[in-house]
Amino acid sequence: MSNNIYLPHIAVIKDIKEETGDIKTFTLAFKDRKLKKSFSFRPGQFMMVSVFQAGEVPISISSSPTQPGNLQLSIKKAGSLTGKIHGHKVGDEIGLRGPYGRSFPVERLIGKNLLFVAGGIGLAPLRSLINYALDKRAEFGRVTILHGARTPSDIPFRHELSRWPKERDVKVLVTVDRPDSKWRGNVGPVTTLWNKADLSGQDTLAIICGPPVMISFVVMDLLKMGFSEDDIISTLERHMKCGVGKCGHCSIGHQLTCVDGPVFTYREMKELPTDL
Amino acid sequence: MRRASGKGEMMTDKLILYKEHLNSFLRKITKGFELIAPVRNTYGDTLFEVISSVDDVRIDLTNRPILSPKRFFMPQVETLFAYRYDKSGYTFKDAADSTPRVIFGLRSCDTRGILFYDLIFQEGLKDKYYLDRRKDTILINLGCNQPGENCFCKSAQSGPFLTYGYDIQLTDLGDRFFVEIGRPRGRELLAGWSYFFRPATQTDIDAQYEVVLESESKFRHRLDFDAAIEKLINQEVDPAVWEELGNRCQNCGGCAYVCPTCYCFNIFDSPGSGKEGERLRTWDACTFAGFSRLAGGYNPRQDKAQRIKRRFYHKLFYDKQKYNIPSCVGCGRCADICFGRIDMLSFIRLISEQRERTHESAHRRLGELLLEAGLISRKDLDSAIEKQAATGKPLGAQLIEMGMADKEAIARALGYQLKIPGTTETIED
Repeated sequence: MSNNIYLPHIAVIKDIKEETGDIKTFTLAFKDRKLKKSFSFRPGQFMMVSVFQAGEVPISISSSPTQPGNLQLSIKKAGSLTGKIHGHKVGDEIGLRGPYGRSFPVERLIGKNLLFVAGGIGLAPLRSLINYALDKRAEFGRVTILHGARTPSDIPFRHELSRWPKERDVKVLVTVDRPDSKWRGNVGPVTTLWNKADLSGQDTLAIICGPPVMISFVVMDLLKMGFSEDDIISTLERHMKCGVGKCGHCSIGHQLTCVDGPVFTYREMKELPTDL
Repeated sequence: MRRASGKGEMMTDKLILYKEHLNSFLRKITKGFELIAPVRNTYGDTLFEVISSVDDVRIDLTNRPILSPKRFFMPQVETLFAYRYDKSGYTFKDAADSTPRVIFGLRSCDTRGILFYDLIFQEGLKDKYYLDRRKDTILINLGCNQPGENCFCKSAQSGPFLTYGYDIQLTDLGDRFFVEIGRPRGRELLAGWSYFFRPATQTDIDAQYEVVLESESKFRHRLDFDAAIEKLINQEVDPAVWEELGNRCQNCGGCAYVCPTCYCFNIFDSPGSGKEGERLRTWDACTFAGFSRLAGGYNPRQDKAQRIKRRFYHKLFYDKQKYNIPSCVGCGRCADICFGRIDMLSFIRLISEQRERTHESAHRRLGELLLEAGLISRKDLDSAIEKQAATGKPLGAQLIEMGMADKEAIARALGYQLKIPGTTETIED
């Protein structure tokens, strides 16, 4: 179309699924037929989403590339722009640029056991990789998925959270901070699930996404359990404007989250200064 | 009128242009190019301006323009594209433009600033808006015979004269300009009007060499960039320095706006009427509170001190690490504009002068200073120190919490203690 990296491509909203009170999954298709066919991405990458007259915001892709023609973004209403996206209907058009960013190191995960730890909407980028791994089931070992939500009604992807454990060697554990009267599951932070998850045996890689404070507690525990710094992988969230390494907003130290990340190993994250 | 002796053939890279021919030469440039040059306006400010008629303006080659020419490559506010929605869907109108331009009278710091921009906007995915404007722009550098009051390009190794990066470079030799051709398109430009030029003689070359040497000896400020960078890498800057700089910063963004290498920008939409609008980009600054704030409210650089620290780390250390050169070209404009004196010049001087001083001893002396200034009593100080032993808080924070001193008094005392220019005078007054 154009060699202008800032011009978005138009995509049509094909489906909207209400996951929770403030999270919706949008299924999108590019209007341009050629692009629709040629578009490809890797789990962990993100798109710059345009809501015309409001602006742009980076959103992780929550669907798996193993399910082509099914580009999904799961968006939490967090500010004015994501609020406007939530007001969209099926058939409405939005703009997309991307995919951008460094993905999960899929090749490195092959043959390994996978431990996913997600907090809240952090399950969205992990969902891309979870479905990828389950669609290529033979290439990966045991899969354990731990998810923490604020309340039972804040749990997204409920349908999949109940489908995934039916697959071979897949375990899903969910916990909430504040239970309601019907909740029979675990209560407490996601780290209270360690003893219910079978993490014995070696060759496990941990993939984490969630609020910064959750990431730090999870990493601390994983290191104590003997995970190496290279075997802990996370995605970082930063304010982004261009998504392509120019505008400077998503900088951490000398790295830019949009091009050097958003996926980093803990060893890489540890090298990044916390306040710069 | 003196006649140049060169007869159309421009074999050499070193030429002479007599000053009396300058305006005629510039007038010719305006026929084929948009000409940008430093102009002194009616308020006495020198700024780069687009010149349509050379004879109607006062071209000023004496004063360094108060703003860098970066706005000609990335305007302070720029439309990226306009869009419109109708029954066939969205249509975009790409606003990228390209005009053949000559920027005349760039200082070495400014040319180096443009070269730094080139790195950023060409790296990875290419920025069409910048590169389109850049590709047809010819840079005519003017070496500095007389460094300005706050100039330190020699320390930053970006001036006062350039050895590369210009299309053409001029040196003022009094009655004439020594002209160096750096790049083919510089040669092409001059070839069009070769009758203005004559080849330089050995006498001209010697004269130019002398001017360069003389200029280099005139700098008021000599900064040790490498030592400053070393201090940042080794985390040797007293945390109290960042605190103090944070307290003194007024969040105006002036330092970033006047800086020839600051490139951070924001992108946002300007809604039009009905189903149309524009996407714009504007200059931004990492010292602004909202620069890193996320939608949920989390801000990894919540404090001003962190943002100031980020600014200096980025310019001195990270860019040096990434591009092998710090992104400060020593133009001194931040020193001209910052009334809080949190500029590059003050900062490097400050941390260079700062002796081995531990955080703890700095704060012990803070108490004495506040005492001397009559801002707290001995009794107050003693009880704060006692309490501090239990809480482990910095003395300043402890005093504020106990209501014994306010933030401003402590900031002033710290500034005095750290010899931050400006504060010293304020307190001594």
